[in-house]
Amino acid sequence: MRDHIKGGALTEVTFFLLLALHQPRHGYAVMQFIQKKTNGRLTLGAGTLYGALRVLAEKGWIAPWGEQNGAKRAYLITEAGREAARQERQRLIQLAAVADEIMGGNI
Amino acid sequence: MRQKKIRFFGGLLATQENWLNRQAQRGLRLVSTGKLIYEWEECLPGQVKYRVEFVGHKSKENTQDYRRFLEGMGYRVWEKPINLQFSIGKVQYRPWAEKGGRLATNSTTLDRELFIVEKQNDSQPFVLHTTFEDRLNYCRTLQKPWWTVLFLCCLLAVGLQSWIAGIFGLATLVPIFLYQRQIALLKKESHIREQ
Repeated sequence: MRDHIKGGALTEVTFFLLLALHQPRHGYAVMQFIQKKTNGRLTLGAGTLYGALRVLAEKGWIAPWGEQNGAKRAYLITEAGREAARQERQRLIQLAAVADEIMGGNI
Repeated sequence: MRQKKIRFFGGLLATQENWLNRQAQRGLRLVSTGKLIYEWEECLPGQVKYRVEFVGHKSKENTQDYRRFLEGMGYRVWEKPINLQFSIGKVQYRPWAEKGGRLATNSTTLDRELFIVEKQNDSQPFVLHTTFEDRLNYCRTLQKPWWTVLFLCCLLAVGLQSWIAGIFGLATLVPIFLYQRQIALLKKESHIREQ
C-alpha cells in the first residue's frame, strides 16, 4: 500500500480505513462504512481490504481489538494511526484551500 | 437434487470463473469440489456469484488467515488444486512464492493453490481486488509462476536439446504477454487514479 512518507500523502483507501477504525470494526463493517460514506463511489474488494488491513496492522497504525472470535476480527486505530490521519486531514485542508484560491471556491 | 460435473481448467482462472458463473446463472450452486469434480445443488438462477483467486504464493498461515477473513465477510470458500499433481512425494519448491520462494507440501499449500469464493448475489459487482495498486500486485503474482515455467523450459530446451521443452516455453509467452499488457495498463492508470 502506498503512503508517500516524504510528502505525507496517504491513499484515499488508507485514510478511509483509518477513519473507519476510529471505532472498532471488522472487515465487513469497514467495507459498509466506506461504501456508505462515499455513496458507493469507493468500493473495496475483500482481497484489497484484507491486504490493506494487514499492512496497516504491520505499521502499527491499527491493532486487533477485543476477543478474536474466529472469522470476524475487529480492528481499532492506534495513536500512531490517529497521528497519521490528523496529518492527512491537515494536508487535505491545505489542498482544498489551494483549490479554492485558484478555482474560486466554486464546486 | 445434486449433480456432479467433471472439468479441468489448469491455470485458466478466468475460464474457470466464467464457467462457475454460468452454472450459477443456470440455477446451480457449488457444494464441494475436488481435483476434477464439481458437485452442485439447485438454487435460484443467479442467486450466487463466483470468483477464483490464486493463493499458491501464500504461506499456509496466510492462506488460512485470508480464508477466515473472506468467510468473515460472509463468503463461502473452497480450496482447489490448480494442477493435477502426479508426483513421487509431495514437496514442491515455489520460487515465485512470497518472501523469495517457499516449499509447499501436502500439509501446507500443495493442492490448495486456488480459492473458489462464493457470494450471495446482492446486485453489487463481486470483485476481490479493486485498487490499481492491488490489482497490479495480483497480476504480478499471477505472472510469476509463468516466468518460472519459461525459465525451466529454456533450461531443458538448451540442456537436453529438447524441442518439446522449447515449444512449451514458447507457449508460456502467451500468458506472460497477456499479464504484462494488463500490468502496463494498470501502471499507466495508477499514475493518475487510485481506483
